[in-house]
Amino acid sequence: MNGIPLLPAVTVEFVGSALAIFFSFLALRYAWSLVRLQPSNFIWGFLFYFCIAMAAFSLSRGVGHMVRIILVYSDQSDLWKQLSPISGGFNTMLMISVAAVIIYYHKGLAAYKLIRKEAVKLFNANTQLASSADQLKELNIHLEEMVEIRTRNLSESEKKFRNFFENSKDIIYFCDKNGTITNINNSGINLLGFDVPFQQVNFHDLFTDRKDLDAYLLSLRKNGFISDFEIECTGTNKATKHILLTANAIYDKNGHFIGCEGIGKDMTRLRNMTEQLINQEKMASVGQMAAGVAHEINTPLGIILGYTQLMMDDFEEESEAHSSLLVMERQTKACRRIVADLLKFSRQADSAKTSIDINTIIGEVLAVTEHTLNINQVDIIRNFCEELPQVVGDAEKLHQVFINLFNNAQFAMVNGGKIFITTKQLGSEVLITVQDTGTGIPNDIKNKIFDPFFTTKDVGKGTGLGLSVTYGIIKDHGGRITVESPVIDLNSTVTVQGTAFHIWLPTKAILSDDDREQH
Amino acid sequence: MIYEESMKIYHFIHILSVCLFILFGLPENSWALQSHSAPEGIYVHQMAHLLFMGALGYLYWHTRKSPAIKSKGWKYLQIFCFFLIAWNLIAFTGHQAFGQLTPADFIDKSSWKEQLAPPITWIKVLYYFTKMDHFLNVPGLFALVISLRTFYHEALMEENR
Repeated sequence: MNGIPLLPAVTVEFVGSALAIFFSFLALRYAWSLVRLQPSNFIWGFLFYFCIAMAAFSLSRGVGHMVRIILVYSDQSDLWKQLSPISGGFNTMLMISVAAVIIYYHKGLAAYKLIRKEAVKLFNANTQLASSADQLKELNIHLEEMVEIRTRNLSESEKKFRNFFENSKDIIYFCDKNGTITNINNSGINLLGFDVPFQQVNFHDLFTDRKDLDAYLLSLRKNGFISDFEIECTGTNKATKHILLTANAIYDKNGHFIGCEGIGKDMTRLRNMTEQLINQEKMASVGQMAAGVAHEINTPLGIILGYTQLMMDDFEEESEAHSSLLVMERQTKACRRIVADLLKFSRQADSAKTSIDINTIIGEVLAVTEHTLNINQVDIIRNFCEELPQVVGDAEKLHQVFINLFNNAQFAMVNGGKIFITTKQLGSEVLITVQDTGTGIPNDIKNKIFDPFFTTKDVGKGTGLGLSVTYGIIKDHGGRITVESPVIDLNSTVTVQGTAFHIWLPTKAILSDDDREQH
Repeated sequence: MIYEESMKIYHFIHILSVCLFILFGLPENSWALQSHSAPEGIYVHQMAHLLFMGALGYLYWHTRKSPAIKSKGWKYLQIFCFFLIAWNLIAFTGHQAFGQLTPADFIDKSSWKEQLAPPITWIKVLYYFTKMDHFLNVPGLFALVISLRTFYHEALMEENR
């Protein structure tokens, strides 16, 4: 019976040992590369140490086996017997080392996993932070663009509304809840004639009529707005203006009334024109009526006067009856004079118009009246235009116009004063202004002064036909007459006490053109 | 200060000299030193195999259950563990089998013609196969190489990313 040859096993042992050394060091090389690549990775660190131990063990064991084979089969078994315990000791020690490294791995991995978990958390947090930072950056960039666009839009809008506010010809104002003006445009300042900073002006104080103010405030508080409310304002310069007001209440976020904003339109000129138109219509109606009445009365008066004068011839001059008839004649003549005035007012009286110089007409009137005026301490100030064009008119009637105006001026200046007479050319018209420094005309009667029989004089001292006749004569001449009281000085825009009558008469040239066109 | 430090060093050297004299000057009184008889080497070696096997078993078990380590490289490492555990078992068995043999069981000892002497018993067959333990050891180490190579390539890709 044959034994089992050990050569194959020895060959496997020898080659296997060499391969084991080779592979263990190849593994160590990869482990080393891993550690260099990611030095902070614990697992690579563990594998590196594990591979060192494995390589050392494989080297020890492999070299041991190979040396043993070489020594034993080269007949040096004694030497191997000496080396054998050392080789075996090394093998044992390194095997324990590999086991120790694996056991150490348990705790190390737990710590590594904890650190890794925290690192992942930190990484995620950093990623999130970076993402948030990017988003924030992007938002910031967009925000800057948005802010820029909004600012530009806001600036344009602000400019637009500022221009509207500044350039509006209407009053645009803002008030606080007490009525103190917080802002007002230039038109408002000019129209309301502020002579102090607007911050010191209370809008409510500008209301002339207290009832208007109450209605304005009530509507604002109750409805939150007021629309097309016509009020009369007295500016800080005491000038009266008629304003058409539209305003809105302003509330804070809690809904409390904190002020108002509004727009006011100056209706003074329109109102005056309307009043003038109404007045003209009224005058025309009154004139027609007066003319009718005058015609009807004139004939009986003529008969009464004729018969009165005839009867006077029948009685002695010293007789009582003659004296009575004399009174009747005088009063009848007075009546006729009134009737004649009415006819003049209604432009029914005969008129002889010629080319005349207004300066001359005024001069002729002053030649008669100035002495009397001076006695009453009234001075005449002449501001005549030297190159005044002529007008076509009835000299007698125009004499009466100025006599009436001077008489009225004198009546308004009981303690004396000045009459400024100004003549000038304004385009195709001649403007004559007669201005006194008298008491002025109250607003409530200003529209009645041209009415027939309207007078402020005591009974018996005036018929109330003076200005009516004046109005009728001027109209008969194709002109117009207006009254201003108090008077605003055109040069200084300061309001002064007194009354000014402005008369516009068409020049001769204009009338000639009109005549030619009619022919 | 310098004086105090010098005095401390002096006392330390004095005490150390006394201890060394007791240890080496009077060896017959050193009862703590233990003698190691001949079989201790093989016992320790076998115990080391068992320890190594246990450690590898733990590594195999842990790499399978841990969700934190998911990679193909770990599969190869598990193969390495498997082979090395098997190798430890074979080596342990081989050492035990060798312990059962006597010099008479070998023919032409220390020559290329060396044989296991007849009759062929199962212990001799076992010893013969366990002697070729490198058939388990070398593939195991090859699996370790592949495992680390896989880890390396993965790490490299991660770094490049």
